[in-house]
Order: sequence, then C-alpha cells, then structure tokens
Amino acid sequence: MKIDQQLISRLEQLTRLELTEAEKFRLEGDLNNILAMVERLQSLDTTGVEPLAYINDEGENTWREDEVQNQADREEALKNAPDRDEHYFRTLKVIDL
Amino acid sequence: MSNSIYEQYETVIGLEVHVQLATRSKAFCGDDASFGGEPNTHVSAISLGHPGTLPRLNKQQAAYAVRLGLALGCRIDPASAFDRKNYFYADLPKGYQITQDRRPICVGGALPIKLGETWKEIRLHHIHMEEDAGKSIHDQDPRFSFIDLNRAGVPLLEVVTEPELRSAEEVDAFMSGMQQLVRYLGISDGNMEEGSMRCDCNVSVRRRGDTRLGERCEIKNLNSMRYARRAIAYEVKRQIDLIEAGGKVAQETLHFDPDTGVTSPLRSKEDAHDYRYFPEPDLPPVLLDKIFLDAQERALPALPWHLYVQFRNEYQLTDYDAGLLIEDRETAAYFQALCAQTPHKKAAANLIINKILPWRRETGAELADFPLTLPSLAAFLQLIDEGKVSNAIAYQRLLPALMENPSKAPLALAQELELIQTADTDLLGELADQVLAANPDKVAAYKKGKTGLMGFFMGEMMRLSKGQADPKTTTALLAEKLKV
Repeated sequence: MKIDQQLISRLEQLTRLELTEAEKFRLEGDLNNILAMVERLQSLDTTGVEPLAYINDEGENTWREDEVQNQADREEALKNAPDRDEHYFRTLKVIDL
Repeated sequence: MSNSIYEQYETVIGLEVHVQLATRSKAFCGDDASFGGEPNTHVSAISLGHPGTLPRLNKQQAAYAVRLGLALGCRIDPASAFDRKNYFYADLPKGYQITQDRRPICVGGALPIKLGETWKEIRLHHIHMEEDAGKSIHDQDPRFSFIDLNRAGVPLLEVVTEPELRSAEEVDAFMSGMQQLVRYLGISDGNMEEGSMRCDCNVSVRRRGDTRLGERCEIKNLNSMRYARRAIAYEVKRQIDLIEAGGKVAQETLHFDPDTGVTSPLRSKEDAHDYRYFPEPDLPPVLLDKIFLDAQERALPALPWHLYVQFRNEYQLTDYDAGLLIEDRETAAYFQALCAQTPHKKAAANLIINKILPWRRETGAELADFPLTLPSLAAFLQLIDEGKVSNAIAYQRLLPALMENPSKAPLALAQELELIQTADTDLLGELADQVLAANPDKVAAYKKGKTGLMGFFMGEMMRLSKGQADPKTTTALLAEKLKV
C-alpha cells in the first residue's frame, strides 16, 4: 500500500481534521515509513500463530456486575463542553439520519 | 406498468434488528440505562468519552446475548471480541462505536416465524453485542442541534439475518416474532415506539428463478412496522421500475420519509462511510465457560414455537387459539398451569380466551390476580364437562357469581343458586307435557316432518326449567313423546 496526497485528503475528511499543506506532506512521509515497518513485520512467517487482539493476556474476564454507579451529574457532564445550553450539548446543525 | 411485470420479480430482504437490552446499567459503565430521564443525567466520564477512561463489559449483556443465541439455536463463540467502528457524529462522543465485527458472540441459528398457519425458519448470519449512540434533536432550533447522551452506551444486540425474507409480511412476522421472543426471555421490552427495537432493511429484487442476488439498498432505522411495510413496498417498486427502464440499482443507504412515503439516498457515494474497524484494545475477549453457558441455558423459558406445537398436537387446539395462548409468556404459563389441573384442555383454552384474557385487558391486572384460583377454575370446567351446569348458564351466571365469591366451591355455589342441570325424567317429563300441550300446531307440524322444530321445543324446555334441563335427557324425552 502506498500513501499519496489523495489518500491523505481522504483520511483528513474521515478524521475531520484540517491539515495545512506542510502537514500533509510531513504525514505522507510518516505514514509511508510506518507502513514500510509493518510490511517488514508482515514478511515474518506467522503460520499457526493465533492473532493477538489484546496485549494483556489476562485469561479472565474484566466484566462488571449490572449495577448503576459512578454517574456524573448534568452540570459536571456539560462543564467542559465547547457549547451547551441548560440541559444539552449544542452543536451546529448536522443532519445525517 | 402492468402488474404482470412486477410478478416476474422476487423480493429479497435481509434484516439488521437492533434490540435494546433491559439491563439496569449501560454496556461498558455503570450509568443508568433506563429509557427517559432528564437529558444528560444518565452519563459519566466513560459514556461522555473523556480521555483516560476504561470500559468494562456489563456481564448481563453477555448473559442476555447468550440467552437469545441459545433460544435461536446459534453457536456461541466462547471467546468473542470487540472492535471499534469509527465515524464522527455529535451523538457519538468517543468517535467510535464499540461493536463486534470479527468475532460476534453468536453465529448462525434461525428464528421460526409464523405465516398464517405455517412456520418458516429465517436463518441468521450472527448476533453481536454493541452499544447505542446518544440522541440528536434537530427540530428545536434553526441553527443548532441538541445532544442528549443518556442513550450513549446503552447495550444493544444486533441480529443479522441471511437474505431469506421474501415480503413485507415476512418482515412483519419476523419483527413480531423477535419482539415476542425477547419478551419471553425478559431481555428487552421490545417496544418499537420507544426505540427498544429498530430495524434496517436490506432490499433487493431479482427475476424469479434467478439464483444470484440483485444489488441491494439499505433502508435505515425503521422504528415501526407500518413504516417498514410502506418503505419496502415503495423500494421494491422503485427498483423494478428502474431495472425495467434499463437502469441499474446502485448500492446505497436510504432514508424513508413517513410523511412522503418515499425513500431517498442518505449520503452521496463520495461521502460513503469507511468505518476502519480495528480490534478494541481496551476490552479483552469475552471468555464464556461452561458454568456461565449452563446458567444461561437454565434461565431459558419454554419457547413460543415449542409451546405452539404442544398446544396444537397435545391439546388439540386450533391454530387461532394456540396463537392467542402463546402471544405472551404469562398467558402461556397460565394456560399450562390450568392444564396441569384439568383434563379439559380445549375448555380451559376457551375459558382463558373468552373470559380471563378480556378480564385482564379491562382491569389491566396480571393473570395471577384473577379472583378464582386454578383449582377452582378446574372444578368449574369439571361441572360443565359432567353436564351438571350447562355451558351457557356456567358462563352467564355461575362464573360472575364465583368472581364475586371466589372462596366458594363452584359446585356448592351452583347448588345454592339452583343452577344445577337436572336429568330427572319425572320432572322433565312434566315440563315436556306442558310445552307440547301449549303448542299443538307446532306438534302437528313436527309430526308431519318439520323436525327442525325440535330446536323450538328445546328452547321452551330451557325457558321453563330456567336453563337447568339436561340437554341430552331432554332431547331424548321430547323425541320419545313426539314419536308418530
């Protein structure tokens, strides 16, 4: 896989980031280096090795019992929002049903 | 276009049904998961997607997923895993939804759906666990949307079918069957109006006999069966018209507008979603051992389609009666409990359907609160079966009286109210003589061959005896006296 400016623009859109031209060129280099490293890893023969999804191989569940706890109150929840009213977070209108 | 053109096509539908689980807390944190609540009060650092927080799975979500999977005959994955589905939207605070993509918890299985008097199995692709998003409110302000995150992180199961449904009627039956099942299992209230059950429909058409699937369109977020039916009908016609006009159906995501009855593309192709799934590094695989699986198996109630077969075959009920009695788990269990006390299964079914279910509808009470106990109901049915009280009198007079005096034994109360049928031939003979003497013209007509008049004589006998004449004895008596 090759990272080019077209793919960078696509990623920019998907991640809702706004990049300058300079940033885009720097990213193109970085991402290509990362992919090159991954390609090198992929040359290893992993036949018969189970894929690893989770680093800490705990071997047991970390689930919780179904209990209501640790809720924040509304004021605490809305405190750090960039925009809000008394009850809600507020954003510019985006309709995407 | 003529109807014959449409008949040359077959509709193929696959469903993605979202079931909101009736847990107390959310999927990955302890926020209250109940519907309603003041906006943004069922939230925490985790559901708000604050950095540095760590999700932990609600054990009950896994338990409910396994129960649904076992009921539907799925294979349960003993080590299912979570993935991140990435997209940006204001009601998804983390920027991704935690879901299961590579290793869903349940694989395969099928839901039997009832179509008229027959059943059809709709096979499932899989069932996976995931979390719901928050709610956006768009109609309060011309410029702004308002976000309520109470629903963000509420546990969902997504049931994905194979493309095996062939009509809107089958979709309807599938959704009703799923609703009935989740209620039987007690894992969701299944309420479509409140959004506890929603479905996405993947609709395509192909010429009959064609084995390849046509290009499909996905109609998003249908939250009522009425809308789903209309949306499917519209979409099927649209696709056939397009193909007949020489066009090709493009795979797209559609929104159905209930006001106009029209489906329209939700987003352009350039804007198509690329969810960039990857394994969720914050959650370890869900390991299910035999003890856990056995416990879920034990928690399963008798399932509606098994009860249906039992009621039809063992108790000889009609399709209609069996359908009514399996509608909800409480009714089925009540009927079975009554059947355990009486050999008269059909009469028990009639009693429940004609008297006790209407009583529940009127009072809003539970069946267990019906004034008469099961042994008392069984004794009531026995009185009818033995001919001690006529069916009509039993329902019209004895049952209301028993409901007023639930502690009285049915036989004792029937005697007290003089409702016991009599087979006393002396008494009935006297009454018969009275009836015949009062209607000499009808007797003559009868003797000339108008045997239909027997009904009239019986009616008179019932009137004179206040309904207590035993029908069998009375008919025999009258026939004897009217012999030419």
